[in-house]
Amino acid sequence: MNEHDMRRLADAICEAVMAEISGQHADVDGREIVVDVSSGSKIVTPPVSENAEILSMKKTTPARVAVGRAGARLRTETYLAFRADHAAARDAVLPDVAPDFSERLGLETVVTRCADKNEFLTRPDLGRVFPRESLEKIRALNPEPIDVLVYLADGLSSRAVEANGETILPILLEGLRAAGLRVGQPFFVQYGRVGTMEEIAQTTGAAVTCVLLGERPGLGSAQSMSAYFAYNARPGMPESERTVVSNIYSGGINAAEAGAYLTEALERAWREKKSGVA
Amino acid sequence: MEKLLSVGIDVGTSTTQVLFSELSVADTSGHFRVPEAKITDKRVLYRSPVYSTPLLDSSRIDADALRQIVAQEYAHAQIPIGGTDTGAVIITGESARKENAAAVLAGLSGFAGKFVVAAAGPDLESRIAGQGSGAQELSRVQKCAVVNLDIGGGTTNLAFFQSGDFVGCSCYDIGGRLLRFAADERLCAISAAAQITADYLGLRFAIGTIPDRAALEQLAAALAAELDTAAQGKSSALLEKLRTHGSKTFSAARGRDLAFAAANRTLQRGFGDALVSFSGGVADCVWDETLPPLAYGDFGVHLGRAIRGGVLFGRAVRAGETIRATVIGAGSHTTELSGSTVYYSSEELFPLQNIPVYAVPPEQEAELWRGECEGFAQDFADFLRQTDSPCAAAELSGKANPGYRELTLLARALARSLAGEPLIVLLHEDNAKVLGQLMSRVTSAQHLVVLDSIHAGANTYLDIGRPILGGVTLPVVVKTLILGV
Repeated sequence: MNEHDMRRLADAICEAVMAEISGQHADVDGREIVVDVSSGSKIVTPPVSENAEILSMKKTTPARVAVGRAGARLRTETYLAFRADHAAARDAVLPDVAPDFSERLGLETVVTRCADKNEFLTRPDLGRVFPRESLEKIRALNPEPIDVLVYLADGLSSRAVEANGETILPILLEGLRAAGLRVGQPFFVQYGRVGTMEEIAQTTGAAVTCVLLGERPGLGSAQSMSAYFAYNARPGMPESERTVVSNIYSGGINAAEAGAYLTEALERAWREKKSGVA
Repeated sequence: MEKLLSVGIDVGTSTTQVLFSELSVADTSGHFRVPEAKITDKRVLYRSPVYSTPLLDSSRIDADALRQIVAQEYAHAQIPIGGTDTGAVIITGESARKENAAAVLAGLSGFAGKFVVAAAGPDLESRIAGQGSGAQELSRVQKCAVVNLDIGGGTTNLAFFQSGDFVGCSCYDIGGRLLRFAADERLCAISAAAQITADYLGLRFAIGTIPDRAALEQLAAALAAELDTAAQGKSSALLEKLRTHGSKTFSAARGRDLAFAAANRTLQRGFGDALVSFSGGVADCVWDETLPPLAYGDFGVHLGRAIRGGVLFGRAVRAGETIRATVIGAGSHTTELSGSTVYYSSEELFPLQNIPVYAVPPEQEAELWRGECEGFAQDFADFLRQTDSPCAAAELSGKANPGYRELTLLARALARSLAGEPLIVLLHEDNAKVLGQLMSRVTSAQHLVVLDSIHAGANTYLDIGRPILGGVTLPVVVKTLILGV
């Protein structure tokens, strides 16, 4: 290939990419962007998702399949979507919850030993324990003996707690109270991991402790929340005594139905005095 | 994992069969999620021979003889009477119209076990024959349109599948027993449908005479051509006359809006290039070229040959089952599972049988979500009164990701306006447990059942079995017609 051919090829690719970015390709069903090089081969192919049957198969998975290609690489649109999702996942981890979040839900905020987000992400051990003033605040919120304590924590996705907390919390609290349990006063833990339940249970004496927190975001969703709970949580407890219900979000089990399911699960843990795989 | 023993009993116009199958139910979600019960396997354990349906005369089934056949088959299969968990007794084809169908079903109900549905109705038959034949599976695996024609003695049931979704059905009085012959080839019976077709074509068939061969071939070819029209989802003047009583004009399937939209799109495009599979007794006459014309003493071989020689055959595929399609459908495909997060106030309520379904119109549902219930309360009360049933189910779409406030409003509105004992709510979306819990705190009713992931639709009835898999899910059968049990 001489210099002239190279230039032609580069121009043709740029043209095709620009056409794609400007969305022209979307106008024509099944249209192929063909770049004419000396061999006449296709360089940019449209995603095969134009086909209704393949589209229906694509709907069964969030995976990026049948997205077409540009030469040996992703198409610009696919690449940009990937970058956008990746950015969303990072964005869900890095920022704090909205300033009015706890207030809107009527919750007090307590902080773990992490000084900031960076420390929270780099020192998992500090995200499980509290300074003394935080423990005192939790105890002041729950001075009476309680059967079940449910609280929120940001975990690895503030977006997840924001998206689901408002729906799941009242359903849980109302359901547990209706079951005749003594339910603790909930709160929000900033920079909190699953292990926070250990000191919290020790401090409040709750028989069953349940934390609702954001899952590590994937490229599929940054809004997925998990519930972890344990009977008789305590520092040094084995992981096997924790029960987890994951994928609480609009693409998994919706927050409302998850709340109803957890209500029964927590009540059962309290009644049977066990949790996890025990 | 849990296993359900299911029985299928198919009493057709000309043949009767019994089949036992085993449905495996398991939680497929893994340990870290909310349970998700599914039917993971369906296995046929025992197939009876194909019996001739015992008749007292041309319009009544011999209930005693039928009961004997069924008793004998339970014994052969070594299954104790009443030992099945689920299943269906189905009286198909013209037999369903026979005057003693209800008495026949009552006679069989002793075999039923805990939970067996006694049902019939041309739309339901079409679907289960299409499922039992393997046409649905073929459509799912190949991602294509398949039309199954279950051609029995009295009727042809058409079921339309698109990529595995059941999208529609229809039923016509076209079958092998339209004409019957004595051993000496003399015509001994002609059905009303055959007479209509003969009149339409200007042909004459007289009882007691040997029909003209060309006339028979003309009749068969005309019916085969009508089936081709029907298989495209279209109709004709003659087809309208042959439509089975109780079968709707090509009825697009109820169910998921998505599937429904897909169905409509497909129907606009037409089923003209869909694959065609045949089941029912006449299917064997389509495929087997060696049968003598009067092998079964009826019109079946003629009809089979005409289909083989017609345009329809050009798109024909073998889906699997032929004469056993309906009984396999009855035994293995009638039971579905509710969602795995549901609400019921007591296990003792089940089985609940023959629950009429009130499909709540979208605008009424929108009102309910806003907490308004006047229109719904009135319509539901009227519906319940008309059904003559102690309870009815209100079917709602639900919401994919509902909020707490709107759920509270919905729960209160439903608790205020539903009637009957127990209260029953059916949802498409995964909302049952939360709605049930919220309703249970505001209703004065003794008992409450809220299930989801079930699509029933107007003019259907539900049977709901006892909870299984540790109480997380319930077997449900949706049917289109009940005959007094």
